[in-house]
Amino acid sequence: MPDRLTAALRGNLDVTGLGALLVVLLAVYSHYDSQVFTPASITILSAQFLPLILAAMGQSTVMLAGGIDLSLGAVLSLAMAVFAVRAEDGVLVAAGLALAAAAATGAANGVLVAYAGLPPIIVTLAASFLWGGVTLVVLPQPGGSVPSGLVKAYNNGWNGLALPFVAIALVLLAWKLVRTTRFGLSLYAVGGNEHGAYASGIGTRKVKISAYALAGVFVGLAGIGLAIQTGSGDATIGTPYTLNSIAASVLAGVSFFGGVGQMRATVLAALLIGLLTNLLLFTGLSPFYQLIMQGAVLIVAIAVKTFATRERTD
Amino acid sequence: MAALSRTAGARRPAAALRDNRAAWAFGVLIVTWIAAVLFAKGFDSVSSVRYLVQTAAFLGIVAVGQTLVIMMSGIDLSVSGVVALSAVVCAQVASGSGGPAGVAVALLASLLVGLANAAGVTWLRVPPMVMTLATGTIVAGALLVYTNGSPKSAKVPMLASLANDRVVGVPLAFVLWLGITAAAAWLLHASRAGRWVFALGNGERASRASGVPLARTAFIAYGACALLAGVSGLVLLGFTSTSSLTMGNPYQLLSIASVVLGGTSILGGRGHVLGTVAGALLLTLLTALLAAWNVSEGVRQIVLGLLIIALLLAYARERRS
Repeated sequence: MPDRLTAALRGNLDVTGLGALLVVLLAVYSHYDSQVFTPASITILSAQFLPLILAAMGQSTVMLAGGIDLSLGAVLSLAMAVFAVRAEDGVLVAAGLALAAAAATGAANGVLVAYAGLPPIIVTLAASFLWGGVTLVVLPQPGGSVPSGLVKAYNNGWNGLALPFVAIALVLLAWKLVRTTRFGLSLYAVGGNEHGAYASGIGTRKVKISAYALAGVFVGLAGIGLAIQTGSGDATIGTPYTLNSIAASVLAGVSFFGGVGQMRATVLAALLIGLLTNLLLFTGLSPFYQLIMQGAVLIVAIAVKTFATRERTD
Repeated sequence: MAALSRTAGARRPAAALRDNRAAWAFGVLIVTWIAAVLFAKGFDSVSSVRYLVQTAAFLGIVAVGQTLVIMMSGIDLSVSGVVALSAVVCAQVASGSGGPAGVAVALLASLLVGLANAAGVTWLRVPPMVMTLATGTIVAGALLVYTNGSPKSAKVPMLASLANDRVVGVPLAFVLWLGITAAAAWLLHASRAGRWVFALGNGERASRASGVPLARTAFIAYGACALLAGVSGLVLLGFTSTSSLTMGNPYQLLSIASVVLGGTSILGGRGHVLGTVAGALLLTLLTALLAAWNVSEGVRQIVLGLLIIALLLAYARERRS
């Protein structure tokens, strides 16, 4: 019985560890902002954290399949730009277009990775150039606009309902469903052992392409969320999300070599990074320090992870 | 016996040429250049060639450093940050305490970033891509803090002449690039450290088991790469007399693309630093061709991105294991 308990704990080591860290961070946070647990505050914070959480989920999806996406920031900007340019003519159509664009770019990345025989790093780095160009064509200068009613409802709550929070919950639920399908299982199999997966009859290329496309959908939703939160579009705003999504995934224990990791841990890790960024602002330091912190978090997270897992394997 | 060796000898150059991707890179470069001269305006004069090799030197110097790192199956995504770091720091320091001090501090700062990369990769065991992405971000943040968001411009006479002067008609920046390439060729293809780099690129476990010092090799490769990115930043500062926080950004992708288009395997262990020279010239030529074409920045970026992907597909694919 204790064996089973420790096994369950070990299986959820990342989630429990991150949960504990989050509690500590929230305690510190409430010291600076006593309003943090009120509905209004939760709405604003979830609106602020939604893009990073969804982007991190996208990055985790790709990493679970054994890849990496350095074009994530560019795709996020693209979805944001498409949505912001078309939002005045109808929000649903704009959202559909933005999602389609993001999923298509993701699938294109996936096709290159699966069929070209080029490593994901170089493919997605070159693709980031390409999608960055497409974004500039769609929206050369920051601009576009989102209907103000939507912006208000999203940031201040709609009939007391925190829309971004609901959106995150729905996406996480959708992931849970995907996870139970044959594709969800194949995703982990391909990431864990590509040759083995292929030998047991999984179409590894199809799985990879679908993984990149699904990541595109997550990133597209993140871009739409960012456009609604800020009320307009900006072709260059997505860049930091590449690094931060990798940082959140790594912090969550998603392996670089694929096949290992849990999405709920990714959500917690993204939340952690978001809160940490906000705390930095509370301390009165210049926002310029944000980049330094993000880079440092990434290095520390990986180093700790490496040493923790090395102990277990040795 | 004689006949046998003769046929072997006759076959060997052809096969060697087929397998020598660096030679292919020069082939593609020459074909592209001829096409540019024939079909585009302004590529047939001596001054255009001069300008091209001068501007290619900025990219080329970074790419030579990148070659060292990629050859040991690493990658350096922090070069964009380091190019900006060196130019910004030099401009800042030079305006206070003079050119030579600025150059020295800038190179030292660049080298430190490279050493940090190597330390993270070897001691903390962070994957090179993530480590260098993180240091690049930290450098960008540190520059924001250091300059408070507005970097200075500075005229450093020494750097201006390095970037713009000529020796018997050849731009000094190009001469510097060739000198650096020669030194890198010796380091990579003739020295003991170079053999370590190739060994690590071909298989880290086996080479470490046979006594290749991973840490020392990583410090040499990443250190040299960052130092060269710093040198390029200085030459760029001399060329434009201004520094900006984003001036290094194009070099991240372009330096890696130069290496890979130059025939070096992105997985490491195979290639030649001379191929990188062809790669950098090719990419600079393509950029110049696109600049001559009157389209928006976005379209230019799309076409360059597509060209790079197409070229990668054409001759940088890895054989599947």
